[in-house]
Amino acid sequence: MNILLGEPFRKWCKTMRKVVLLSTGSTKYGRIDVTAREAALTAAKEAVEKAGIENREIQALYISNVFSMTERQGHLGPLIATSLGVPWIPALTIETACASGGTAFREAYANVAAGFYDCVLVVGTEKVSHLDVVTATTYFSYGSDYQFEAVNGASFPGLYAAMARAHMHQYGTTEEQMASVAVKNHENALHNPKAHFHKKITVEDVLKSRVIASPLKLYDCCPFSDGASAAIVASEEFAKKYTDTLIYVMGSGRATSPAALFDRENMASIPATNLAMNQALKQAKLSRKEIDFLEVHDCFTIAEIMAIEDLGFCEKGEGGKISDEGVTARDGEIPVNPSGGLKAKGHPVGATGVGQINEVYEQLMGEAGKRQVEGAMTALTHNIGATGGTCSLHIFRRGD
Amino acid sequence: MAYVSIPLYKRTIPQRYKLIGLKCKRCGWINFPPKGICKGCKVSSEFEKVKLSGKGTIYSYTVITAAAAPPEFSKQEKSGGSYVVALIELDEGPRIVAQLVNCKPENVRIGMRVESTIRKIYEDEGVVRYGFKFKPVEESLK
Repeated sequence: MNILLGEPFRKWCKTMRKVVLLSTGSTKYGRIDVTAREAALTAAKEAVEKAGIENREIQALYISNVFSMTERQGHLGPLIATSLGVPWIPALTIETACASGGTAFREAYANVAAGFYDCVLVVGTEKVSHLDVVTATTYFSYGSDYQFEAVNGASFPGLYAAMARAHMHQYGTTEEQMASVAVKNHENALHNPKAHFHKKITVEDVLKSRVIASPLKLYDCCPFSDGASAAIVASEEFAKKYTDTLIYVMGSGRATSPAALFDRENMASIPATNLAMNQALKQAKLSRKEIDFLEVHDCFTIAEIMAIEDLGFCEKGEGGKISDEGVTARDGEIPVNPSGGLKAKGHPVGATGVGQINEVYEQLMGEAGKRQVEGAMTALTHNIGATGGTCSLHIFRRGD
Repeated sequence: MAYVSIPLYKRTIPQRYKLIGLKCKRCGWINFPPKGICKGCKVSSEFEKVKLSGKGTIYSYTVITAAAAPPEFSKQEKSGGSYVVALIELDEGPRIVAQLVNCKPENVRIGMRVESTIRKIYEDEGVVRYGFKFKPVEESLK
């Protein structure tokens, strides 16, 4: 932690430029009939239109995608840049498993903050519905330490299940408490027109759903989704030409945990979350109390519980309890995943982190309709890769 | 579809058959599976090979069913129902992921003493892949 918050970090915080989230766009999540590159265009087009800019003003393109090779297509950068009418701009794909979206955003942010570019496009896109479940699970498993985790029998649900069991053992977390996370996120997604699921569920539904990897049941797990989300990141100076309502990127945190679960000291925690949070808070000069809502990485219900603890919004071990008590509900003290989260909004892997930022944009602009968090001015996105190997975290604040 | 090729599997046979780890010559930390730089002191890359005892304690576990099995095990899951995967803390320190055998899923407990055993892990490309699984030490739990 000292290394990540050391002198280079302090120097960087002092010298960088202010960066603005100018606009976002997103397809509906769920099953789509187009390729990942086509979905990316739909999301990008919406973001460009909302920003009011011309495509040719985009100076660089950051794509987050994990599974395009399953569509027999790599090297998405030039393809998408060409389709956008800007075939000359630098473009690349970033992959950090399920955190790819947040990581691509971070790289875009860092380059604008450093003065390299004034206006860049981030697009996260994913298509997996053409794969059968075994193939999809296999490709997902490649994000773990495949040789020593998957080959010994553990897939991602299995690994998160082991984390859940450790959490239950250490802190007394219950299956009912985990279920309450799924119920809340499904409830929130009812009001999100772009969510994968629009289905109200009860704690009993979760508890009665079939066991996937005990103690996790079907409704504790997020779905495989298709979808794309986009964001335009701009310097303050550039953004001011297009809007008076500026959403600033206040803090950006990035950290890594040991890749394999067995190399972690405490398996009921994701150390990268805490490291990234400390960086982002320090940079933003904000306290947790000033953050109005969170979009966290709830690939499994236990993941949301661990996230709110590791982010420091409650004591370690209290996450299940406060979820059950409604603290994290949309009208609770700390609203978590008003979008519906990965659990119900869906998890199109490469798009997920950018999708969280899309929710932040809509909420902070007051455009979230029935799922609006009243008076939201400051928000946090927390994006995790695999079992926590990667964490990409951002804090946003509306500047008025 | 071969997910882990035969040569790639063969390269990890010292770990899979004999639990060979690397002991750091600087700080004595036991690294398993092998690392490039010692996990303990985070400095040294000088190691000596050590054979782990194969005895340990269950740190956490899950019973894998339905679609949660990696492809190598989907046949096993379909034919035999569920199987137990445990995170085991070895007496020498390292933790590993392994399947638990000779034990009913309902009898598994965190803290249970277990020991390694060589078993068939799965079959791919017509070759049986062997490696470690774990079993309870106490007869009564089987």
